[in-house]
Amino acid sequence: MSYYRVFAKGIWEKNPILILGIGMCPTLAVSTSVSNALWMTLAATFVLIFSNIFVSLIKSVVPSHIRIPIFIAIIATFVIIVELTLKAFQPDIYKALGIFIPLIVVNCIILGRAEEFASKNTVLPSVLDGLGMGLGFGLTLTVLAFFREILGSNRLFGYTLIPGMEPATIMTLAPGAFFTLAIMLWGMNALKSRKRR
Amino acid sequence: MNASILRSTLILGLTSFIATFALSHIKAITYPVIQKQERQKQENALALVLPGYTIGEERTAAVGRANFTYWTGQKAGGNTTAKAYAFIAEKPGYSGAIRTMVGVDEKGTVLGISIIRQSETPGLGARVLEAASRNTFFQVVTGRAHETGEEPSPWFQEQFRGVNAAAKIAIFKKGDWNETMRDELLLKNGVSAITGATITTKAVKDSIEVGMATLRIALEEHAKAQEAAGK
Amino acid sequence: MEIKALFVILISTIFINNYVLSQMLGLCPFLGVSRKLDSALGMGLAVIFVMVMASFFTFLIYKYVLIPFDIAYLRTIAFILVIAGLVQFVEMVIENISPVLYHSLGIFLPLITTNCAVLGVAVLNTEAGFLNGNLGLLKAVVQGLGAGLGFTLALLLMAGIRERLEIADIPENLKGLPITFITAGLMAMAFLGFSGMKI
Repeated sequence: MSYYRVFAKGIWEKNPILILGIGMCPTLAVSTSVSNALWMTLAATFVLIFSNIFVSLIKSVVPSHIRIPIFIAIIATFVIIVELTLKAFQPDIYKALGIFIPLIVVNCIILGRAEEFASKNTVLPSVLDGLGMGLGFGLTLTVLAFFREILGSNRLFGYTLIPGMEPATIMTLAPGAFFTLAIMLWGMNALKSRKRR
Repeated sequence: MNASILRSTLILGLTSFIATFALSHIKAITYPVIQKQERQKQENALALVLPGYTIGEERTAAVGRANFTYWTGQKAGGNTTAKAYAFIAEKPGYSGAIRTMVGVDEKGTVLGISIIRQSETPGLGARVLEAASRNTFFQVVTGRAHETGEEPSPWFQEQFRGVNAAAKIAIFKKGDWNETMRDELLLKNGVSAITGATITTKAVKDSIEVGMATLRIALEEHAKAQEAAGK
Repeated sequence: MEIKALFVILISTIFINNYVLSQMLGLCPFLGVSRKLDSALGMGLAVIFVMVMASFFTFLIYKYVLIPFDIAYLRTIAFILVIAGLVQFVEMVIENISPVLYHSLGIFLPLITTNCAVLGVAVLNTEAGFLNGNLGLLKAVVQGLGAGLGFTLALLLMAGIRERLEIADIPENLKGLPITFITAGLMAMAFLGFSGMKI
């Protein structure tokens, strides 16, 4: 597989959310506004890339039966780095993302990539894989957040769109998240079945 | 078997050691910044709830089970100095405690409140912090945005200004508050609840009432202690 | 008074702040293990068990180890390792004590480590203001129990609906995840009804 393919597969053909169906919790919970989504993407991609690097570096030293705890420890380390950095330099974002920052640890995408890709490949492809998967995750998250922020709070990037209009609050709540993602997945399925024909 | 257990333990321990070692350094870098942020936040909140006052010492009093933190403030005006107090009030809302800093004058009239911590549902209870932005997205994109010197204060906090905390505060369901409602609501010593989040509103209101009562007790005890020390 | 506080925590974590349907935690197992009712029940019971245990231990560790030594910033790594160890331990115990139970629950246990609802309840316990009151540990455990029960409730409802959906006539492109999400959205909407409840 060429380096380009390793990178690009995460964005479309193996998109972690739309195709593989993993990492749903942060996707649905933090996509209430575009800025939250972008910060979450940044945080998760950072952890993904660095955990991939370290996992691919130590893969030959680690006995296979304790690899999962070690991967989790590596991931958790980078999550805490993100947590502390955001808390110090972007306290508002840290507050807005809330517990979903520590919960990056249990994001199935990160452990999944460590187990499935980084523990079998060298450093460079692992970095590209992490970057691609992070972008795929972020792209879905941002599109979702774009619609939810416009419909649910009548805002975009925190600025009011139509003054005086009452927004459909349900879009920022859990049902809106489920429905928006359902429509995105539906569209994805429709595209795939058209291609097959 | 034993050798493999030993090796696994060693590797796991080593990983944890390196991880913790690295993290302690990151913490050393970020800790002063976080501390500074938190101090800054507290100063901002104090300036918001006691506008124009010089903030005095911070006191803690053990009232009931929990510690009660309050500040004194002074403002020289004419030939008298006005005294005011700020305290931290806390009550559980829907998810977790809502912590509010409240500023009151000697009579118990609220000078301002600032919600410093909440984790309510976004779109409902979390609207306690929602401020009506002065600019719309199109104005920003087309470059016709107003120069906003400072962010407007959230309406939910704004409406408490002038309410008497020493008496019962009433809650009305009038939808989003605006400046025109102030006189009508103040007459009844009331505030308007956030639509769909009456519980959140009630938690803030209750915490202010309880906090005011606690402040009274704390002040009396402090005066007594001062007197005893004076003798 | 304290009994009432505990009851409020229990009810609000089960219904009002249901972990799956309103806080959107633990969606991976919610989508993955909700095809059959019996496996949903097995997963639910395992999650309740682990959540209660995890609440108990992580709260103790946070209050009596991390806070006194001023290393609260290591919370995430400490909690996830405790949960991973706990799950492993529970798995071994169940395997030895009751092979029957192990066969019905065992396969779900490894999945629980990466269930964000378990780490979520542990983290939320430290942020919910239980630390400075009395009965903090009991409140944390009750919150863990409520979270587990709420998760199980959502999972069972979902599994019941999905068993029916199997035989329903659904447009081709909606089959699988999309229809599941629409169902979840409708359920979340129904659960929103609890959010005006006074307790």
